Amino acid sequence: MPESEATCCQEPEVDFVVLDRIIRDEFGGRREAMIMMMQTIQRRYRYLPEPALYYLSQVLGVPITKIYEVATFYASFSLVPKGKHLLHVCTGTACHLKGSGGMVRHVAAKLGIAPGATTPDMKFTLETVNCLGACAVSPVVVFDDKYYPQATVGQLNEFIEKVNAE
Amino acid sequence: MKIIMDGKEVAAERGQTIVEVARRNGVYIPTLCHVPALEPAAMCRVCTVELVEGRRTRLVTSCNYPLRGDAEIRTDTPMLRQNRKVLIELLASRCPDAEALKELAERYGADLNRFPAEDRQCIMCGLCARVCERVGGNVLALCGRGVEIRVDTSFGRLSPTCIGCASCVQICPVNAIRIEDMDGERRVIVRGKEASRVQLRKCTSCGIHFGPVIDLGPVLDRAGEGGVPAFNASVCPACSRRSLARRLAERHFEQHAVESPDADEEG
Repeated sequence: MPESEATCCQEPEVDFVVLDRIIRDEFGGRREAMIMMMQTIQRRYRYLPEPALYYLSQVLGVPITKIYEVATFYASFSLVPKGKHLLHVCTGTACHLKGSGGMVRHVAAKLGIAPGATTPDMKFTLETVNCLGACAVSPVVVFDDKYYPQATVGQLNEFIEKVNAE
Repeated sequence: MKIIMDGKEVAAERGQTIVEVARRNGVYIPTLCHVPALEPAAMCRVCTVELVEGRRTRLVTSCNYPLRGDAEIRTDTPMLRQNRKVLIELLASRCPDAEALKELAERYGADLNRFPAEDRQCIMCGLCARVCERVGGNVLALCGRGVEIRVDTSFGRLSPTCIGCASCVQICPVNAIRIEDMDGERRVIVRGKEASRVQLRKCTSCGIHFGPVIDLGPVLDRAGEGGVPAFNASVCPACSRRSLARRLAERHFEQHAVESPDADEEG
């Protein structure tokens, strides 16, 4: 894949056979399942690639503007490529009181990126979430879809070291 | 079905919305995001009315509240006036120069400068996106949500599907959208940002640009009929009229020339 100077991220080639499998085979090409299709596409590419959304629009007969509306409405959809590893830090009220703000700042400083951004090597994405619904075990972080209750800065350092060691 | 509006019984049909009933019976309810031809969206909230349920009243948006049974509605109470006043003041902070808001402000005694203005030239009524879906080419959409919601094209790019119909320009209550016809192209500009560019048709007779060149397929699909001949015209309406007039005149004089040889001199 050619490395582009303008964008730091390598955009994955969209495989239309895979898209067909998701849209037609897995969900039967039903419009009602559009959000689930988008979730599946996002799981595969770690974001919603533009060509994939245009293809989805064509196959389902849903205007691209409607798909774009949905993609921008839900915070869980991303239109920019995400890193290989995702770290969500909860910044809800309970987690905030338990110092999650400091944790976000720590990771951001350590990786040199702002919350919501991805490291230039596409390995790590730091995100904040408003609430994970697990306030009793705050502060909560989610690393690669696994929840870590009562997280500590030490734990976060371990995650970062693990990713950097790859 | 017995509907009482502001103390008077009014005529209503089952399924009609409160605003429809009010309009039909000459009762004023202010609206900003309501156009009868489009699906109601209840975005602006100024059409909120009181629905009396026994001893309690409930606030409902009248534009998308269909009446299904007996109901008592109040459209102009001190609470509603206060509610509308604050709403207008808040909307005015987004659009300080909107004429539509100035009119409403006068009616409800709203102070347009009460909140610090942050000119976003848009009250997020969503009319442009709704009309674009129904009439146009699905160019404009409400993107994002909450405080970050905005009218934009998909991926923020120039849209290739725009038909240049300018419905969005016509419908916007705060005049945030405009079109510019320039150098044979029509630009649709939403809040200062170009949303689409459509090539204009050049009159083969006089050379002026007169209408957008559009992909007819989707338009005819939406219209549900096979022929809208005006779309394919190659001469502008003025030239078209001129040439029709010329043809009529020629035919007239030809006929007269046959019947009476001196008709030409009279004409």
